[in-house]
Amino acid sequence: MALLELQNITAGYDKNVILKDLDFQVEEGELVSLLGSSGCGKTTTLRLIAGFSTPMSGKFMFGGKDYTQVPLNKRNFGFVFQSYALFPHMTVFDNVAFGLKMRKVSPDQIKKEVMEMLETVDLGGFENRFPKEMSGGQRQRVALARALVIKPDLLLLDEPLSNLDAKLRVKMRVEIRRLQQKFGFTAIYVTHDQEECFAISDKVAIMNHGVIEQMDSPSVIYNHPKTEFIARFVGFENFMDLKRSETSGTYLLPDNSRIQAEAREGAESFKACIRPEDIMIVPEGSSAVNPLAGQITVSTFLGKRSQYNVRTAIGEFEVSTDQESVYKTGDKVTLSLTPGKIILL
Amino acid sequence: MLEKKTNIYWLFILPGCIFLTFFMLIPLFSLLFKSFVDEEGSFSLVNYFTLMESTYFKQVFWRSIRLSLISTAACAVLGFPTAYYISKYSKNKGMLMALAVFPMFTSPVIRSFSWMVLLGKKGIVNEILVSFGVVAKPISLLYNEFSMVVGFIQLFLPLMILSLIGIMDNISEDLNLAAGSLGASRLGVFRHVVLPLSIPGLVTGSVLVFTGCLTAYTTPQLLGGTDTRVLATMIYQQAMSLGDWTQASVVAVVMIAVTIVVSSVINSISRKLNPTL
Repeated sequence: MALLELQNITAGYDKNVILKDLDFQVEEGELVSLLGSSGCGKTTTLRLIAGFSTPMSGKFMFGGKDYTQVPLNKRNFGFVFQSYALFPHMTVFDNVAFGLKMRKVSPDQIKKEVMEMLETVDLGGFENRFPKEMSGGQRQRVALARALVIKPDLLLLDEPLSNLDAKLRVKMRVEIRRLQQKFGFTAIYVTHDQEECFAISDKVAIMNHGVIEQMDSPSVIYNHPKTEFIARFVGFENFMDLKRSETSGTYLLPDNSRIQAEAREGAESFKACIRPEDIMIVPEGSSAVNPLAGQITVSTFLGKRSQYNVRTAIGEFEVSTDQESVYKTGDKVTLSLTPGKIILL
Repeated sequence: MLEKKTNIYWLFILPGCIFLTFFMLIPLFSLLFKSFVDEEGSFSLVNYFTLMESTYFKQVFWRSIRLSLISTAACAVLGFPTAYYISKYSKNKGMLMALAVFPMFTSPVIRSFSWMVLLGKKGIVNEILVSFGVVAKPISLLYNEFSMVVGFIQLFLPLMILSLIGIMDNISEDLNLAAGSLGASRLGVFRHVVLPLSIPGLVTGSVLVFTGCLTAYTTPQLLGGTDTRVLATMIYQQAMSLGDWTQASVVAVVMIAVTIVVSSVINSISRKLNPTL
């Protein structure tokens, strides 16, 4: 049985429904990310799990118990805020010690555990500083230490890295992953950054308009998106409508030319997609697999790669290649769509 | 180019400075000066010693301080929950704030008169108390320390509420949630987060209320009696009724000194409670 389970959750405020019949499960020891653009309901879901708000209907089970009405101070969940939410009137030590003090741990024990935790997040010697005397990255680590020192049953992170610069973000996400694996805690991580989320998570749940469209491991989502929304989210730019032909694995494009892709049973027509980097460009008329005639409309040189927009009979394609030959706007070319890289949705 | 231009913007504050010099600084210093000279016109503290020995002055002095402190404490106790509600929970903040400061829109004279109507022997309060049998016959609620404190609270509560709202608006809701998620009960959140972070507003409010109470004249004059004089009414009595301008000046200087001392004491207490201030 899953450690955490949201069953048929509907939530929102006033008449504004944000989550509709949401189901969501997390296994013990997993780090699951909720990924989506702003307004998709990912933060609402996280705050609901934390106990900051209660759902309009539905059930929240945790460790086999009904947690729907358990107040937030009885949940023993750690929460890391986007704003860090460190207590400005307390030192780093007192910030980290807060949860233990509330749990009536003895002062000696508090001292020992806080100091150990500060060492773990590489902040030994900072215990007497105030939050305003620290950098963004350091504050973030204090926030992590504060949430971890209470040995939470679940760690919730709400876009914890979005206020940091790009370099520090990469460093901190490795740090969060390291701590998560060291302590083995279960965590839910909310972000809108696809790369960050793929780098850190065991599983990713992609949300759109209050529902989870797909929840899988990062590699499955990256290589086999289930819907067009997810395909677009993970970098598929080119979409085509395919119709089944008499031969298995061969499909008809809207202009009746033929294209090869993975064989699939079932429906008569499919939506298919391919990434810009999985399309090759060859000069007009050359022989190629899955050829598609077109004309370059925009040519952008990016250094290592070149990016082209190509107009074809079935629509505009975006292509990104590292080939040496450079094509100019207006050049007539043939596109070659790598068969194994065409994904049927 | 820019640095070669003569800065003439100081001219903007010139009219104000001239006005304040003639109508505030000069009178204030002549007052100070008057209090430090004896009858022969040489520097002396004799006026102060005379005053300190007067039992009447001592009574008035301690009464002023006591009433101001009581009123300040009452404003803090009444203002804190009100401000917290308006800042964090109200849906119609502008409306509630307007209501909170409404007493300030009327003149102290009118306000005091309405208290006379309410608190008099035949006032509503006494009638209710008598009809419910709480007291056998009307009690005197007017022209004593009680009515003065009531007047002070009504007069200065808005200052406390406004100071507190200003600070509470800046306390992020995330801090309360963070404390809650770390195991703090509602009371714990209040004690460890809301209260310490509101201290700057409590300090500003307390200083404003205390100095306001100590220096207020109309309210104690109208709502107080002859045996409940405070420093402000005593100054008027000395100067206008008794014509003793020297003694009035001395009392005024004492009043200013008390205001400064109490403000700095309140400040240092708050610094202890909130070291990041």
